[in-house]
Amino acid sequence: MTTISAPKTRSPIGRTFSRNPFLLSLILLIIMIVINRALQDNMLEIGPLNGTLRTMMPAIFLAIGQTFVVIAGGVDLSVGSILSMTNAILAVMITQEATADQALVAILVALAAGLGAGALNGFGVTVLRLQPIVTTYATSFIFAGIALRILPEPGGRLPRDLTSFYRNPLQLSESFAIPLSLILITLLVIFWLVLSRTRFKQFLFATGGNADAAYTTGVRVSRVKFTTYLLSALFATLGALALTLGTGTGNPRAGELMTLPSVVAVVLGGTRLAGGQGNIIGSIIGVLILGLIGNIISFGDLDSWVRPLVDALIIIAALAIPGVIGLVRRLNQ
Amino acid sequence: MRKKLLLAAAAAATLAAFSFGTLSAQDEQVFTVGISNSFVGSEWRTQMIQEIENVAAELSDDPELGVDIELVIESEDTDAAGQEQQIQNLVNRGVDAIIVNPGDAEALRLSLEDAAAAGVVVISVDQEIDGEGVVNVVIDQAEWARISARWLAEKLGGEGDIVLIEGFVGHPANTARMTGVEEVLAEYPGINVVGRESGMWDQATGQQVMSDFLASIPNIDGVWTQDGMASGVLQAIVTAAPEEFPLVTGEARASYVRLWESVLADNPDFTGIGVVNPPGIGASGLRVAVNLLLGNTIDEEQLAGPYGNTLYVPIPWVLLSEDFNYVNMDGEESLLPANFDEVLEEVAELPDSYTLDGILTAEEAAAYFVPAS
Repeated sequence: MTTISAPKTRSPIGRTFSRNPFLLSLILLIIMIVINRALQDNMLEIGPLNGTLRTMMPAIFLAIGQTFVVIAGGVDLSVGSILSMTNAILAVMITQEATADQALVAILVALAAGLGAGALNGFGVTVLRLQPIVTTYATSFIFAGIALRILPEPGGRLPRDLTSFYRNPLQLSESFAIPLSLILITLLVIFWLVLSRTRFKQFLFATGGNADAAYTTGVRVSRVKFTTYLLSALFATLGALALTLGTGTGNPRAGELMTLPSVVAVVLGGTRLAGGQGNIIGSIIGVLILGLIGNIISFGDLDSWVRPLVDALIIIAALAIPGVIGLVRRLNQ
Repeated sequence: MRKKLLLAAAAAATLAAFSFGTLSAQDEQVFTVGISNSFVGSEWRTQMIQEIENVAAELSDDPELGVDIELVIESEDTDAAGQEQQIQNLVNRGVDAIIVNPGDAEALRLSLEDAAAAGVVVISVDQEIDGEGVVNVVIDQAEWARISARWLAEKLGGEGDIVLIEGFVGHPANTARMTGVEEVLAEYPGINVVGRESGMWDQATGQQVMSDFLASIPNIDGVWTQDGMASGVLQAIVTAAPEEFPLVTGEARASYVRLWESVLADNPDFTGIGVVNPPGIGASGLRVAVNLLLGNTIDEEQLAGPYGNTLYVPIPWVLLSEDFNYVNMDGEESLLPANFDEVLEEVAELPDSYTLDGILTAEEAAAYFVPAS
């Protein structure tokens, strides 16, 4: 006689964690904040906090865009190049003498160029049916080339009013200021919570989870995938806007090193690389974790070469956690 | 590093206690100096940081000066955003001064201006930044390039076909250098540039580019190239072994000095030039920073450059096997002496990657400041 143990009823806490994998990342983030705060007394003061968050904003935008593509089962290796390209457009068009109207036109042109880039990716993946990794790797060179064509060497200078507004904390009253980036992050979280209530989110998850099954149940898989590349490019352009306002200038290679970290942040945030599951809140947390690692290494007086090592260990851990949880579950049964 | 600093401080304290001066260890002013470097894949940058450490220890050891310099080094391969974070971390730590070798001078401008406005002494070395409150300590890259370009043109007697192998196209230092080369060559209508290509400041790429030139262009009389590539270029020529060696502008590195010597075995007439682009510029920057931290005022007349905030450090010296009478763009002559044999001896113990160097002395640094009355 064998007894088959009934499947374990998971505790409510266990269920919460498996439904929201980003909660694990949130715990990691809180640990990071505690360590960083212990090493850096003024970490949470308005000035330092504002500066830290501001430098992370471009990466946050990139990671959010990447999340949509990854959830739908793809990957976008051109986000860094799209950021370079639109950063170049903004830096060339918004000159020091630019009026508000001219700045607005520049932003619209950058958005159009960004969306065009996203459409090209979407076309390659959904119409030509090419592998996302190959398509976006190839197009990344096109966009990087266009960036160099528009702005051959780093340069351009934005009006100081514009950069000062973006760089400094938002003064809400005489005595109270808040980092502008904190407001932006809050808006992005609200955007996701609203999106979560729409059918697009269901289609998105269905496409990434099982595209064939989704197709047979009436989800327009190609259209959903196409949209994710548009969204990815849109957010890359917003990232470029954040970078341009933050540095006040353009660099045709600005995004060169930013693509892979965007994927890493997505994974760190609990989004499944195979698709079908994920969350942009997690990706924001992922970027914050990666950024704080740098601060901790700096304030902990560790040698800078430790950083890639720590980054790598955290990525492996993040990739391994779901597997380990599954393994423990199987062993328990 | 940390240990070395403590030792340096202890040594300085001991010396101070025994010296006739009135300073005791308690009177020492402690200055924290942050270093921000965004590129580690180069021996030049490694040497730059080592020289800063050496000079920091030397200054801390000097009982007369009564300072103790503590370094905080932020050095990693990173982009503009990463270097901005380095700078912010240094400011948030409360450093007294920052010495930065900027990866993207324009993208760091606003953050460095903020740092300067917060009372931090900000020195940019190796590259000029148009930032309020920032002081640039650099060599004149255009003049650096003019010296070897003039040497090449004169050696060729103003006649011949030459190729140019440049660094990163679009990099400010490369742009300045190539402008300098073009200015000099404009005075020699008999010299034709028959090829121009980027060697990416990389020995292997430089070697490849030169091999391609040798294969495709007959009778190259001269090559103008820069440091970081010249050893590769010369290696390509040695490998191709043309009947007549073209004249090559070299580089002021230990590896090149040795390669030059080995070429002499088969070609006793071979000669070259290596203009020193000193990694010690970082340490020179530190000397300027310490003067500012001690409250000295820069002599306004010494400030120059496109943004009016640059202290140009003279090019320390030039590696030559024959005397060269250099004439600059203003027609001023200076005799650069032959020194190849001495340099060959000096670098015998040093690694291939060592760059021939020069650092401002304390007196030379003080000369940029208004004399204390």
